[in-house]
Amino acid sequence: MSLTRTIRPEFHQVDRLYFPDYHIIDISFGLKLYSLEAGTLPVCRLELVFDAGLAKQVKIAQASFTSSMLSEGTQNKTALALAESLDFYGSYFQTRSNADDCVATLYCLDKHLKNCLPLFLEALTDSIFPQKELDIQKKNAIQKLVVNEKKNSYLCRKLYYKNIYGEGHPYASFSEKRDIESLSREDLSSFYSKNILGGLKYALLSGKFSKASQTLILEQIKQAGFTSVTNPGVSMPITTKSGQHFFEKKDSVQSAIRIGKVSISRNHGDFRKLQFLNLIFGGYFGSRLMKNIREDKGLTYGIYSVLEPLKDASNWYIDSEINNKNREQGITEIYKELDNIRRVEIPEEELNTARNYYLGSFLRGLDGPFSLADRLKIMIDYKLPNNYYPEFVATLNNTTSQDLLETANKYFDPNNIVEVIIGKK
Amino acid sequence: MITYQKFQLDNGLTVIHHYDNSTQICALNLLYKVGSRNEDPEKTGFAHLFEHLMFGGSKNVSEFDTELQMAGGESNAFTSNDITNYYVTLPANNIETGFWLDSDRMLSLDFNQKSLDVQKNVVIEEFKERYLNQPYGDVWLKILPLAYKTHPYNWPTIGKKIEHIEAADLDQVQSFFFNYYAPNNAILVIAGNITFEDCQRLANKWFGDIPKRDTIIRKYEQEPTQLEPRKEDVYNDVPLDMLVKAYHMGGRLDPDYYACDLLSDILGSGKSARFYNRLVKEKRLFSELDTYISGDVDPGLFLIEGKLIKGVTFEQAEAAIMEELDFLKSHHIEENELTKVINKTETNILFGDISVLNRAMKLAFAEFLGDSELVNTEIDHYLSVTPETLLETAKSMFNESNCSTLYYHAKK
Repeated sequence: MSLTRTIRPEFHQVDRLYFPDYHIIDISFGLKLYSLEAGTLPVCRLELVFDAGLAKQVKIAQASFTSSMLSEGTQNKTALALAESLDFYGSYFQTRSNADDCVATLYCLDKHLKNCLPLFLEALTDSIFPQKELDIQKKNAIQKLVVNEKKNSYLCRKLYYKNIYGEGHPYASFSEKRDIESLSREDLSSFYSKNILGGLKYALLSGKFSKASQTLILEQIKQAGFTSVTNPGVSMPITTKSGQHFFEKKDSVQSAIRIGKVSISRNHGDFRKLQFLNLIFGGYFGSRLMKNIREDKGLTYGIYSVLEPLKDASNWYIDSEINNKNREQGITEIYKELDNIRRVEIPEEELNTARNYYLGSFLRGLDGPFSLADRLKIMIDYKLPNNYYPEFVATLNNTTSQDLLETANKYFDPNNIVEVIIGKK
Repeated sequence: MITYQKFQLDNGLTVIHHYDNSTQICALNLLYKVGSRNEDPEKTGFAHLFEHLMFGGSKNVSEFDTELQMAGGESNAFTSNDITNYYVTLPANNIETGFWLDSDRMLSLDFNQKSLDVQKNVVIEEFKERYLNQPYGDVWLKILPLAYKTHPYNWPTIGKKIEHIEAADLDQVQSFFFNYYAPNNAILVIAGNITFEDCQRLANKWFGDIPKRDTIIRKYEQEPTQLEPRKEDVYNDVPLDMLVKAYHMGGRLDPDYYACDLLSDILGSGKSARFYNRLVKEKRLFSELDTYISGDVDPGLFLIEGKLIKGVTFEQAEAAIMEELDFLKSHHIEENELTKVINKTETNILFGDISVLNRAMKLAFAEFLGDSELVNTEIDHYLSVTPETLLETAKSMFNESNCSTLYYHAKK
C-alpha cells in the first residue's frame, strides 16, 4: 500500500498537564525552602529570592550594582579567591536584578554542593563591596552603557518604559552615566543590609539532589542569619505619556519600534485569556503579526508581541525592527491587525491551532527540573494555586472566539497606547 | 551516559534512537551535511537562505508550521559553516506528525517564487539587524576574510554581502535541494519517550520511500598555513576601540581541539580567568575581554576579543595580551588550574544534557563527525589533557605569524 502524504496523521490533543509534587520546608520562623526534585542527572540549582527589586531603590542603579557585586569580596575572601573556589568546583554563581526582586543562583553538580554552598552563602551574607572593585565595575558599566546607547533596540526599550510608566517610576529606571558615577560604597551597603540581608523571601531548590544536600542547605541557610521581609512596598503612581515618540538616529539602517500599553496583573481573572489572545496576535511563529508582516510581506526579520507581567503594573507591547523605508507600511499593518482582532471573531481553525500549540508549549515548559522550578517561582510570587498549570487545559478548552473578541476589546484598545520609534526620519 | 541505537535505511538515511521515558515529549532532529563551506564563493549565504525556504511549504503540505503547531509542536533550525540542522519537539504521542512533515520536505519542497522573494527580504533584514545596524556587528565580516584566504570559512553563514542574497533564483534553489537534501546526506535523531520499535516503524514508513540521490559535495581547498602576521585597521562609528586576534587552530577532530578549548577557558572564562584578573582588573586595559574557539569541523580559529578602556592604545592592549600568551608558552599550568577548567567543563556537559532536544542535537552532530560515541567520551578527551599538552599547544598556536589582528577604531 502506498503512503498517503496529503492527509495529516492522527494526533492527540494534550489533555492533561502534570505538575510534580514539591515540598515546602520551614527553614526558620517564616522562611521557607521550596524543594522540587525532578530530572535524571545529578545536577542542582539553588535560588535565593530577595525583596530587592527596582522599587526598593533609593538611587538609580543601586539594585543592579548591589546584586552584581555580591561576589566581589567578603571580610575573609577577595573577589578572586571567591571566584577561584567556586570555579574550582565547577559551579556557577549568578545574580539577577529584576523589576520585582533579586535572585542569587548557585548551579552545581550535586557531588560538589557541600563545597560550594558555604562559599555561596558567605558571598551573600558577608559582602563588603570593596572600593577598588566598585571603581572597576563602575568604569566597565559605563563602557557597556555607551555601547548600548548606540543600539536602537536599547534606546527604544528605554524610551518605551519611560513613557509607559512615567519618568520616576521604578520600572522606568535606566542608569545614565552620572547615576553610575555617583554610586558610592555606602549606597550599596545600605541597599544590601536592608534588602538582601533583611530581604530574603524564600529559597528554591531544584534538580536531582541527595537528601544530605537538602539537609545541608536547610541548616546552612538557617545559620546564615538572613531576616525575612515583612513590609510590603508602596505602589508608585503611573503616568503614561501616550501617543507617538520619535527619536531620530540619522545613521540607522533600520528603525526600532515598540508599541504598547499598561495591562492587567497576573492575578486578574482575565489574565490567562489575555495571554492566549496575545499568543494568537503576536506570541508565536504562527501569530498574525509574524504571518502577515514577516512571512507574507517580508518586512522584518522578527516581530512579536509580549505580555509582561509585573507586580505593580503589567504592560503589553509589540516589538520589531523594520527597514526605514518600510517602516510606515509596517506600522500601518500592525494597527490593521489590532483593529481586525477587535472587530472580527477568530476563526475556529486558527483558534484550534493556537490552543494545541499553546498546550504543547506548556508540556515543554513543564519538562526538566529547572523549567519546572521557573514555573514554581511564578506560583510562589503570585500566590497561585497548585493546580494553576494543570488547569490551563480546561481554561483553554473553554475559551471561545467570542470570549477573545471581548478580551481584545477590553485590552487591545488603542486608547493610551504608547508608540516609540528610533530611526531615520 | 547517553544510550542510543543506530540503524540505516536502504536509501542511506542514518537513524539514531535515544530513549528517555522520564519526559512526555519527543524531539526529532534532522541534520543535513551541508553548510556555508559548501557554497559557491560567488553565491554566498545560500545555505542559510535555503534553511528559511524549508519552512515555506513542501510537496504535499502547504504550511509546515501550522500543521506542526496543530499537533502541539514547535520547530526551528540553524545553519553553520558545516551543517544545516532542523529540529522539532512534540508531545511524545504526536511524534508521527514530525515524521510526516520532515519526510515530506525531504521528498520535495514546493519551489515557489513568492516564498523565495519573501524569505530573501527576511534574510536581508536579518543581515541588516545583526550585522549592519549593531555597533561592531560587522566584525565577522572583517576578521574572516583576513584569517582565511582560500577556505570557504572566509565568509560568514549569512553571506559576504546582501547582493549575493538578492541574486538567488529558483533554479539555484532546486539544484541545491536535489543535491544536498538527500536521505543519504542526512542524519535523523529521534529522542524522547518513544520506543525503538515505534521509531523504526515510523522511520521506514515516512522516510523509507524517499529515493537516494547522487549527492556531489562541492570541493574546496584547505587553508594553507599562514606564514606571516596579518593586520587590518577598521574605522567605524562605534564608541570604543575594540581589538580582535584570531589564531588558526586545529579542526574539531584534531588532537589539539580539547587543549585549545581548555586554553580558552583558562584565559577567558569566568571571574577567576587570567585575562579578567590581570588585564581587566589589575592593569585596567580592557572593560571586557573574551576568548572562544569557533568549533568548526575544518581547522578553525581561536579568538580573543576585547573592548579597550578609553585612553588605552591598541599597542598597550595588544602587548599585554602577548605577555599573557608568552607566559602560557613558557610556564606549565598548575594542576589546580587545570582541574578547575575540567570541572567546569564537566558541569557544562551535564547541564547541557538535561534537555532531550540538546541530547538529540549532540547525537546528530557526533554522528556527523563520524563518532557518535563522542556524546559519552567527550569528557575523557578533556580529562586526558595534561599541562604538557597545554604548553605544547600554546607554543605552536600563539605565534604572530599564525595570527590575524583587527584594530577596530572608534571614529572620532
